[in-house]
Amino acid sequence: MEQITGRVWKLGDNIDTDVIYPGKYLPIIDAPEMALHVLEGLDPEFPKKIEKGDVIVAGFNFGCGSSREQAATSLKHAGIACIVAKSFSRIFFRNAINQGLALVQSKDAPDKIQPGETITINFASGEIITSQNQRFSFPPLPEFLMGILEDGGLIPHVKKSLKS
Amino acid sequence: MKIPRKEELLKLQAKYRTDKRIGEALGGVPEYLVAYWRRKKNIGRYSLPKYSKEQIKDLWERYGNDTKAGAELGISKSGFYKWRKLYNLLEKPKALKFQQLEFSLAGQTGLSKSAGIPVNQSSRKSTIAQKLLAKKAGKAEILVGEIVNVEPDLAMSHDNAGLVIKQFKQIGQSQVWNPHRIVIPLDHRAPAESEKTATAHKSIRGFVREQKIKNFYDIKEGICHQVVIEKAHILPGELAVGTDSHTTSYGCLGALSTGIGATEMAALWATGRIWLKVPDSINIIIQGKMPKGVYAKDVILYIIGQLTVEGASYKSVEYYGETVTKMSVSERFTLCNLSMEMGAKFAVVPFDRIARKYLFSITRQKYEPIFSDRDAVFEKEYEFDVSNLEPQVACPHNVDNVKPISEVKGIKVDQVVLGSCTNGRLDDLKVAAKILKGKKIHPEIRMLILPATRTIYLQAMKKGYLKTFLDAGAVILNPGCGPCLGAHEGILAAGERCLATTNRNFKGRMGSPESFVYLASPAVAATTAIKGEIADPREFVK
Repeated sequence: MEQITGRVWKLGDNIDTDVIYPGKYLPIIDAPEMALHVLEGLDPEFPKKIEKGDVIVAGFNFGCGSSREQAATSLKHAGIACIVAKSFSRIFFRNAINQGLALVQSKDAPDKIQPGETITINFASGEIITSQNQRFSFPPLPEFLMGILEDGGLIPHVKKSLKS
Repeated sequence: MKIPRKEELLKLQAKYRTDKRIGEALGGVPEYLVAYWRRKKNIGRYSLPKYSKEQIKDLWERYGNDTKAGAELGISKSGFYKWRKLYNLLEKPKALKFQQLEFSLAGQTGLSKSAGIPVNQSSRKSTIAQKLLAKKAGKAEILVGEIVNVEPDLAMSHDNAGLVIKQFKQIGQSQVWNPHRIVIPLDHRAPAESEKTATAHKSIRGFVREQKIKNFYDIKEGICHQVVIEKAHILPGELAVGTDSHTTSYGCLGALSTGIGATEMAALWATGRIWLKVPDSINIIIQGKMPKGVYAKDVILYIIGQLTVEGASYKSVEYYGETVTKMSVSERFTLCNLSMEMGAKFAVVPFDRIARKYLFSITRQKYEPIFSDRDAVFEKEYEFDVSNLEPQVACPHNVDNVKPISEVKGIKVDQVVLGSCTNGRLDDLKVAAKILKGKKIHPEIRMLILPATRTIYLQAMKKGYLKTFLDAGAVILNPGCGPCLGAHEGILAAGERCLATTNRNFKGRMGSPESFVYLASPAVAATTAIKGEIADPREFVK
């Protein structure tokens, strides 16, 4: 996972898990079905608009609220490649990594990135590059978390480590 | 030679103290003769007071009980009473001091170690989070920011155990790491509201049988967090994780607990390990007596309003101060439960006699509480005085959008919900029952009441609260999460407003994204149900 390039969906601060994945859909345990309801709390048409490889750019405290993992799972299976936010809520952060959904924390970039533009996130160099060629660096994730991401999530990661 | 009379001898003793010096003062009377006179007149040997006034006063203020204070000095109940009578300490202390208060105000109260109080003498400057995670990781000490791989004492899941099981099966492990440490109560959609849920519940029932997980509580028992506390699945000084964000609640007993996702739980079931980062800690001191009509819910809503939804993000919050030391375990539960809404990873009220007393009523298991060092380093420290606090209401659509009741009263609502892990305990029902007794709920209000657990339901039944609620016109639902997360039993339509004692008011939380949820205490809920609009409970609370 060297680099991700994708179209931007811009969201605000405190995007909570009830908005990302409303409680009424919690009984669903099939991931592709979950993806059909992603961000429905914000805009019922959202699931249709998202395309594979898109990127979400948001403000502070992304994913706050419930520990429901379906929030991260539905984003991942709807095709979201990466989320850039000023900060993430603790449990969402863990859930996203465990689902193999890349997260980037940057205080400055979200304000400068425009909705609909295409940005590139380079994990090797630790940089976000906007369509205007503005560059924002971000701190890398701890190595073992990158390990989980590269294995495609916690389940494959644990499987691998139990085998070895 | 004239033998002194009793009064004279007592005067001499007060002046010269020893028999020898009394004899000298009388002009060379031998010591043994003075002692003989004393015995004849029933006068004891003079002795210096063993305990200073400060020492006795400190113990008295700490315990307010002769037996317990005496035990600290190794003397009897009447022995301690004599000492405090000597120092004229006859009135009961208004507020009791505790070890945790000593910690937070160390230096100011100047409590001496010589008072025989066990104080933490470690110089490692560690917080509860550091010490407990260090203990779990088998290390002497641990730094903030370190990542440890630990085995928790408790792994709790609710209905989402269905998802955990699905993930667990993908890992391919045949047995869970320790069936005794896994607790599964079904509460979120209990009884099943849809075929999908019924299928998930069925798979959970099959799994717990197959894996010999004894601590499984089917739909009858109630809300997971309250069940965990009532059944003593968590004890002071222990570490818990749960697939629910409000797992932070177990801090009410001095435990560390936090929420995780379903996949992580599956990995934990398989490996018995989970990674946790050692968080920074913040220290919140709450002082002052809560005014009438103001409860722990108002206090914590006020704090969230001040610190914001991100105010304690990734942090371990420790609560101190006289208001906290006087709170019941149930009120502390409310504090720790809602701390999650400001992003806290852990929230803990240090273990003390109130927690000990509560635990003694439910279990005889042994435990080892953990306290912060006296000089523990906190990232931030906040102090709140609640003596003039008004009832508080969190307005849509964020928990930190908190306003005093005076600014929001009069807002018409359609539904009132009393219950949830935040405020569904017996004391909450009691507050509401007192207000609703002999009154009728406003005809345009639907009031839903959910006792948190079966035990609480039974207690409320015995106390007659349920009859009061039914007489008033409320609907009593079975113990569980019910409408709190918009799962079932009271979903809101577009445009409707609900005042709830629950924990979240996010957009669409309880139904339509066009509905509105206000969060408040059980007293505000009961008053609002009577009036039909958000109302101040202080006129009803005597």
